[in-house]
Amino acid sequence: MTRSGLEATFLTSRETLLRFLIAHGAGDAAEDVLQELWIRVSTAPPSGPIASPLSYLFRAANNLMVDRHRSLRQAALREQAWSDAFGATMPGRSDAPFGERTLIAREELLLAQAALAAVPLRAAAIFRRHRIDGIGQKQISAEMGLSLSTIESDLRIAYGALMEARRRIDEG
Amino acid sequence: MARSTNPIDDAALDWIVRVGDPAFDDWDGFTAWLEADPRHATCYQMLEADAAEMANLVPASAPAMPIAERRMPILRRRWIGGALAASIAAVIGFGALRSGADPYVVETLPGVTRTIALADGSSIVLNGDTRLTLDHRDQRVAALDRGEAYFVVHHNAARPFRVAVSGHELVDVGTAFNVAREGQTVRVGVAEGAVVFGSGDEAVRLKAGGALQVEGDVIRLSAIEPDSVGGWREGSLDYDGAPLRQVAADLSRATGLKLVAAPAVAERTFRGTIALDGLRDNPTRLAPLFNASVRRGGSGWEIAPLP
Repeated sequence: MTRSGLEATFLTSRETLLRFLIAHGAGDAAEDVLQELWIRVSTAPPSGPIASPLSYLFRAANNLMVDRHRSLRQAALREQAWSDAFGATMPGRSDAPFGERTLIAREELLLAQAALAAVPLRAAAIFRRHRIDGIGQKQISAEMGLSLSTIESDLRIAYGALMEARRRIDEG
Repeated sequence: MARSTNPIDDAALDWIVRVGDPAFDDWDGFTAWLEADPRHATCYQMLEADAAEMANLVPASAPAMPIAERRMPILRRRWIGGALAASIAAVIGFGALRSGADPYVVETLPGVTRTIALADGSSIVLNGDTRLTLDHRDQRVAALDRGEAYFVVHHNAARPFRVAVSGHELVDVGTAFNVAREGQTVRVGVAEGAVVFGSGDEAVRLKAGGALQVEGDVIRLSAIEPDSVGGWREGSLDYDGAPLRQVAADLSRATGLKLVAAPAVAERTFRGTIALDGLRDNPTRLAPLFNASVRRGGSGWEIAPLP
């Protein structure tokens, strides 16, 4: 797909993509995010032919919104670390000394690991093949000789354990 | 495994699996679900972000590796960035899920040891200047935040004992082993049984007489006299070529004496056994052992070159 081909799809689908970003919670920043999406997509063009340029753009938009969520989350954590290291006592902020803040990160680790330990071995292997090795469901299904629905069911189990890990970290 | 009864969570689980498939094309359907409730987007984004960051914590099965003899090649390990992602998950399958941890801390001053007896017969001996985090709700887990501890673990194959230390994890089924930590440097020695350190393709299995040291992203394996593992509990430290800065740190932890090695001698290696008894009152008797001078310096004592 040429740059101009992708650009044509982007222009015709602009409103649809904007609606998607707003649905993801972009709010007033949606237009800015759309710009950022175009910059991302046009400066790092795909290495080969794209079956569906629209799907490609949607996926890029989806990733962008998840990355924004992560940045906001990281920024909140950095702010916390800053106030722990340098800030005076403030209402609503942890007074724990810095050593204890790192301890809390380790506690979070233990909590997450305890939750993820419950993932059965096959589901864990499928999850790692998918998320870490980047292999799609259909190929994993062929590799392991299991039905697509089994693969999907195992992935839901693994993601469910991640939800549990997050729950424990937030409650801990 | 806990099943979510929350319909938003269930829907998010469905969507994340479907959207994760490279062939997915129902973007209109996904948009509609996101639009239906602002919580949908938050739930999905959080799960997707967590999946990216915690993917490496999902357990992998690992082949056992034989112990390397002394002076085997150094194993290199790639570090994964991020606070959570930097750790490695446990290897052996676990038993029942614990719903929520209830952590507590046990800490010792330099020179003071303390023994913790766990309900299942396991025991942990803390050396001085040591901090350990345990969990009231899970007696088979511990985190070594600082210092050194000797673990005697009651055998239970269904529920291995796990020790988290500086972003690594040790898994043990029934064993006696020693773990020491200074900052990011971790040392492990196994007296009895076996322990697995780390996971995945790079898991290292240590048996009795096996030891390892992790510094940054380098793991060094070596052999050690099983009887000398955790020798600090009996008041004796045994070395076979450790740098003086480490010996000084070990002595400080065990005796409460503040001892440092001056930069000029810090990397000199030491071979020998040091008896801890009476050392605090008479640190100068270390001088002939180190072939150095031991004198007052800073707020404590210093090992320095001979004049």
